[in-house]
Amino acid sequence: MKILLVDDEEKFVMMLAKRLRMRKIEADYVSTGQQALEKIKHQRYDIAVLDVKMPKIGGIELKHKLNERVPDLKIIFLTGHASKADYDAAAQEDTLFLSKPVKIENLVKILHQLKNQ
Amino acid sequence: MIKRFLKAVEPLRAGFNRCQSEQLGPFCTFTNYRRIWMKGFLLLGAVSLLPLVVVVLIHYRLLGTSIDSEFNLRMERLTSDARIKITSEIEKRLDIFSFTVKENTYEQLTAPGGLAGILKNLKLGFDGFEDLRVITPAGVQTAYAGPHEVKKTDYSNQDWFKESKKHDVYISALQKDGDAAYMMITAKSFRPGGSFFILGAVLQPEFLTQTLSAYKTDEYTDIFLVNRSGIIQTTSAFYGDIFVKLALALPDNAPGTQTFLDKDDQMGPIIAGSAVISALDAETAFILVAVKQKKAIMSIWKRLQTRLNYFAAFCALGIIVAISVACTFVINTLYRADEHKAETTAMMEQNNRLASIGQLAAGVAHEINNPMALIDQTAGYIKDLLALREQPHKGDKELVENIDLIIDEVERCGGITNQLLGFSRKFDIQIQKINIKEIVSDVLIFHQKEAQYRNIKLTVDVAEDIPEIVTDRGKLQQILMNLVNNAFQAMENGNCLDIRAFNEELNKISITVRDNGCGIAQESLTKIFEPFYTTKEEGMGTGLGLSITYGLVEKLGGGISVVSKENEGTVFTVTLPVNGLKERVNSYENSAG
Repeated sequence: MKILLVDDEEKFVMMLAKRLRMRKIEADYVSTGQQALEKIKHQRYDIAVLDVKMPKIGGIELKHKLNERVPDLKIIFLTGHASKADYDAAAQEDTLFLSKPVKIENLVKILHQLKNQ
Repeated sequence: MIKRFLKAVEPLRAGFNRCQSEQLGPFCTFTNYRRIWMKGFLLLGAVSLLPLVVVVLIHYRLLGTSIDSEFNLRMERLTSDARIKITSEIEKRLDIFSFTVKENTYEQLTAPGGLAGILKNLKLGFDGFEDLRVITPAGVQTAYAGPHEVKKTDYSNQDWFKESKKHDVYISALQKDGDAAYMMITAKSFRPGGSFFILGAVLQPEFLTQTLSAYKTDEYTDIFLVNRSGIIQTTSAFYGDIFVKLALALPDNAPGTQTFLDKDDQMGPIIAGSAVISALDAETAFILVAVKQKKAIMSIWKRLQTRLNYFAAFCALGIIVAISVACTFVINTLYRADEHKAETTAMMEQNNRLASIGQLAAGVAHEINNPMALIDQTAGYIKDLLALREQPHKGDKELVENIDLIIDEVERCGGITNQLLGFSRKFDIQIQKINIKEIVSDVLIFHQKEAQYRNIKLTVDVAEDIPEIVTDRGKLQQILMNLVNNAFQAMENGNCLDIRAFNEELNKISITVRDNGCGIAQESLTKIFEPFYTTKEEGMGTGLGLSITYGLVEKLGGGISVVSKENEGTVFTVTLPVNGLKERVNSYENSAG
């Protein structure tokens, strides 16, 4: 399973990637939406874990752009702070929504479940 | 019947007289409703009563004037009537006397028995004639017929005789003779050769008194004669007997009838009329005087006045009652509207305050969440390194324990930030149909043991017909749990906790949690839903319980209110919509399907 982590909190996303890799999950990370769009040109990912609130390209917009290029790419939102508007928009997307801090075991379990759906 | 009446007059009860709530005071537009009522009452009263007072005063004046005028008219008529009558009586006597002297010669009159026959006839026709005498121009009496044996008397020095010579016929003023009084009536007749003689007679004045007595209609009226010098000639009821000087200034001896107003110390205001008596185109010595006390018509005046006063008082009372009722109604309506506005404003202000505090708390929580997440992941990574990677510290229990401590504390912080976020965020609503009875039982299971131990009596009364409500089970459970926890903390051993659920309003259910514990101080009541507000000792409470409860109830689309009295107990009422979240359930079920 190969996943892409996108979050403007770079240290957090780096640490999360390291921990996922320790659990046999191939995890790449980037800190902007632009980098994520670049990444999927060259790599194929099963799941993308996106922060909702990011500079320039927000999580929801990024989701649409990613799905345009890779329609079967599955998406999870993981956020520490989202306004009600962000939440309502995310709720419209019919997308799994997790809030920080997240237990690594829970995340791993969710990722496996999603991969197998 | 009485209830209906009380209901009908309810809007008229001066509700604004009751003291205003201190909490609502600052939000009310007006503070002193009694003063507004008083101002309105006085202004309307002045505007309405002033015309009434003016009309009544004008009426008084008109009434007074018309009564005076009527009084004057009556007096004029009375004086005039009496004058005509008196004149007529005197003229009759002067006429007959004049006729007698013309029809008889001096010789006939002075012949023995001549005068006696004439006197007899005169007495038959008229009252008052007492005797007859023939007098020469020198004033010597030459013949006499009457009760006294008077012969050869000389009248040349008598005033009446001097006047007699000047007039064809003459009647004198009242003459005094000891205690008696009389008048002299005379007629002059010329004899052949140019000389003349005078026929005179004593005339008793009673006929004048009798004539005037017919005009004394009541005790307030007096009518009498005076001579030109103001000496009373017939007895006056008000001014005394004959020969007394009249204590009333008469107008000048102008012809005709005159009336005038005067004031007497004893009789009060009077109206008087006077008329000079003229007979056979010649003025006599008499002036007729009529006097009427104003008291006579005061009773009519008073009666009219009383009626007018009653009418004015009735109108004034009606106006005062109407204004009072109208003012009370209007000020009550104003007061209720103001009170309602103040309640709404107070509620809005509290909601705004809670909302802004909620936003602030959520903002802080959000900002802390990211570093917390990093600490969590870093600690987790170190733990992973210790557990999964080959290195000298692999399996070091002390290190793992310390890292777990960091992770646990981060988790605790996460819990707090989630609670704070829960206060303002509408995340994670899991909607389902809830049976109120079941959820109350579920919540109380946690407290059964404590209640038994502390001897607290638990009562649950859920109405049989209460509908299932569509809401978030977890949140409702947490709401009830928080309220029950608070109640348990407030109660002493042996107190009672009472939970009721009912649906009095359409599409709404209410759950009340009532305890008879220590209650909440009035000054704390407005703040209890604010985050971090606690009355517990330091370290004993976070001050988040009720603010979170408030946030949860808001999330479920409901409302929460509290009524409390110190040392008596507290009632929390949570009101929730029955179907408020149904649409969301449908969409949830559809998406799940």
